[in-house]
Amino acid sequence: MYNSVKKHFKTLVLAVAAQGLLTSTAAFADEPKYGFGRIATQEEIAGWDIDIRPDGQGLPAGSGSVADGEGLYEAQCASCHGLFGEGEGRWPVLAGGEGTLAHERPEKTVGSYWPYASTLWDYTRRAMPFTAPQSLTADETYAITAYVLYLNEIVDEEFVLTKENFSTIKMPNEPNFFEDDRPDVKNTACMKDCKDPASIKVVSTIAGVTPLEHLEEGAAETAAEAASENTHGKAIYDQSCAVCHDHGVAGAPKTGDADVWGDRIATGTEMLVKRAITGYVGDEGVMPPKGGNMSLSDEDVAEAVRYMIEKSQ
Amino acid sequence: MKKLSENTTDLLQEIKTEAAELPKNKRRDFMLNGLKLTAGTALATTVGQVAASQSNLPPNVPEWSKTLGRGVVSVPYGLPSSYESDVIRRTVEWLTADKIASISMTPLHEMSGIITPSGLHFERYHGGVPDINPDEHRLMINGMVDRPLLFTMDDLMRFPSESHIHFLECPANGGMEWRGAQMEALQFTHGMLSGSEWTGVRLSTLLQEAGIKPGAKWVLAEGADAAGMSRSIPIDKALDDTLVVFAQNGEMLRPEQGYPVRLFTPGWEGNTSVKWLRRIEVGDMPWEHREETSKYTDLLADGTARRHTFVQEVNSVITSPCPEKPIQGKGLLQLEGIAWSGRGKVKRVDVSLDGGVSWQTAKIKGLVLTKSLTRFSMEINWQGEPLLLQSRAIDETGYVQPTLAQLREARGTNSIYHKNSIHTWQVQTDGAVNNVQLG
Repeated sequence: MYNSVKKHFKTLVLAVAAQGLLTSTAAFADEPKYGFGRIATQEEIAGWDIDIRPDGQGLPAGSGSVADGEGLYEAQCASCHGLFGEGEGRWPVLAGGEGTLAHERPEKTVGSYWPYASTLWDYTRRAMPFTAPQSLTADETYAITAYVLYLNEIVDEEFVLTKENFSTIKMPNEPNFFEDDRPDVKNTACMKDCKDPASIKVVSTIAGVTPLEHLEEGAAETAAEAASENTHGKAIYDQSCAVCHDHGVAGAPKTGDADVWGDRIATGTEMLVKRAITGYVGDEGVMPPKGGNMSLSDEDVAEAVRYMIEKSQ
Repeated sequence: MKKLSENTTDLLQEIKTEAAELPKNKRRDFMLNGLKLTAGTALATTVGQVAASQSNLPPNVPEWSKTLGRGVVSVPYGLPSSYESDVIRRTVEWLTADKIASISMTPLHEMSGIITPSGLHFERYHGGVPDINPDEHRLMINGMVDRPLLFTMDDLMRFPSESHIHFLECPANGGMEWRGAQMEALQFTHGMLSGSEWTGVRLSTLLQEAGIKPGAKWVLAEGADAAGMSRSIPIDKALDDTLVVFAQNGEMLRPEQGYPVRLFTPGWEGNTSVKWLRRIEVGDMPWEHREETSKYTDLLADGTARRHTFVQEVNSVITSPCPEKPIQGKGLLQLEGIAWSGRGKVKRVDVSLDGGVSWQTAKIKGLVLTKSLTRFSMEINWQGEPLLLQSRAIDETGYVQPTLAQLREARGTNSIYHKNSIHTWQVQTDGAVNNVQLG
């Protein structure tokens, strides 16, 4: 023990002496102290190191046009973000909102708010599409990025985004960000006669927006009912189906809406399960096979369908 | 059916007396039911409830004293009493588009001390909870280092570890109330907040193993979840008190909290404590990813936006009474609350009963730890008068928790994040508590 400490101390002294000064980032020994873990190979790093920076560091070779991006966007993004980036339901709005940041109801979009185009590229590859992250190729990511920039009128419809021209893209709102300078307010610890009691106006809560059912009569029964439901089907549903069926996105019948489910339930559970497994093209929309999650077993899908039927009668 | 008393105050007192004899969770429901009765509904069900519980009360010998209970390991991993089944995390569904990228809140009104049970720690995910096999999980360190490294979980746990008690708070805590009060429960106004003992290895130890190259200024922390959550952390914080955590409250992390390993940046906004940590990259500038540009930046009234707003400034709230915990009756009242600061220790907490006209210094209860929940209390004699309850915390840097008016004046109402203003509960003459703001 004494020897290893001594050895480490010696190395540290040598390292400090060699660099001439001690800074927080340069004070480390040349040798690892513990030697746990192993060197990561270049191949391993390449598989995981997917981050992109504003200066373009990390961008892979490739390119994509606004035209290519349009088709990809409509197939993979529009069901949540809207055909024009306007956002479906509460899913994020991607386009528009220029000049609204100082308004009472600002619209923060890629074009109106995001300071760097690299963020769009990075996030699209990292986390999109929502149900299949890290599934897009580099060229597809360039194309979708180009198309979202086009929706925001940052590039024109002929534009082709490449690794080489990426750094030419400047986002309009970049100059409006500044570094944290808090504390920005200064209260004092006044103890007596801090304000005129007559000046106090009490502003009440906006009623009816808080989920308070659990504080109401019969809450225990509701909880018991919830506990007896189809939990496996619900778990599958929450993970793979809710994204569209909770909100009726892309023509999906909304769970719990007895009107839209009535005719469907009438065709029989077996038929609905079959359609959910193999996929189905209806008048209002497209059901991809297993909702696009091919890792689900047929039985998983069947349980999820049964859960949706129970919830929609 | 019992006829309503003409004097509702009498009825209220009667309900309170009966309620006092019920077990805790029943008492809460009973009180709420009872309070509704004063508005004119029937008493039949509540009378039934009281009758049913009489057989276990003195002079009778309770049922559970006359039969044997269950034996050891009948529940190998212990669970709370079935009578505590309403003490759970809850969400506000309209806040987000989907439960997979959403948030749930801790029932702060039911918590004691400064540790939140791991199963009640608030949740925040951007791509759901991954189910990670620890044997197949790796932590990679790459970028501006002498030796890019890959660690197994077993490797990580061979390093010297430390345990620290810290709060963790989502910077959007309270963010629904910039424009006005709208959450009628403490769980929803302040519940994106929990406290735990966290155990892990200092990030500086791992970075030292890899050897940081000169010129390094930032690290990127990246998760293995479907969101690939990623945040840039300045190197000074990475080398200071930042931990690579594998255990929480004495056991391995819960899946919801980043199992098998997460980053933990004490005192900073929760999002920077990246869960399911798979990679640390060392670099010379921030990455400016989605969760540090599009989100987690603070838009001001003039349209400019503050970024890299990491620290959670001092904050406090009274947890009893609160909307879920109305005052039970006249007499001595133990007012209680929590305070916390991302800049260090809580130095003092003041309480006002009159909406901030006058203040008294509360008693600090129990441990006072840096960047941790800190509990305070004050005994008052309540005789049914209406109150406007507030708490105001001061941390060791001397920073005094601001008023909402001060925050709005400085930032407007569109910041979403970092709303740490003094909170107001309005206590009514019947002991009920409402969330209000003072204009």
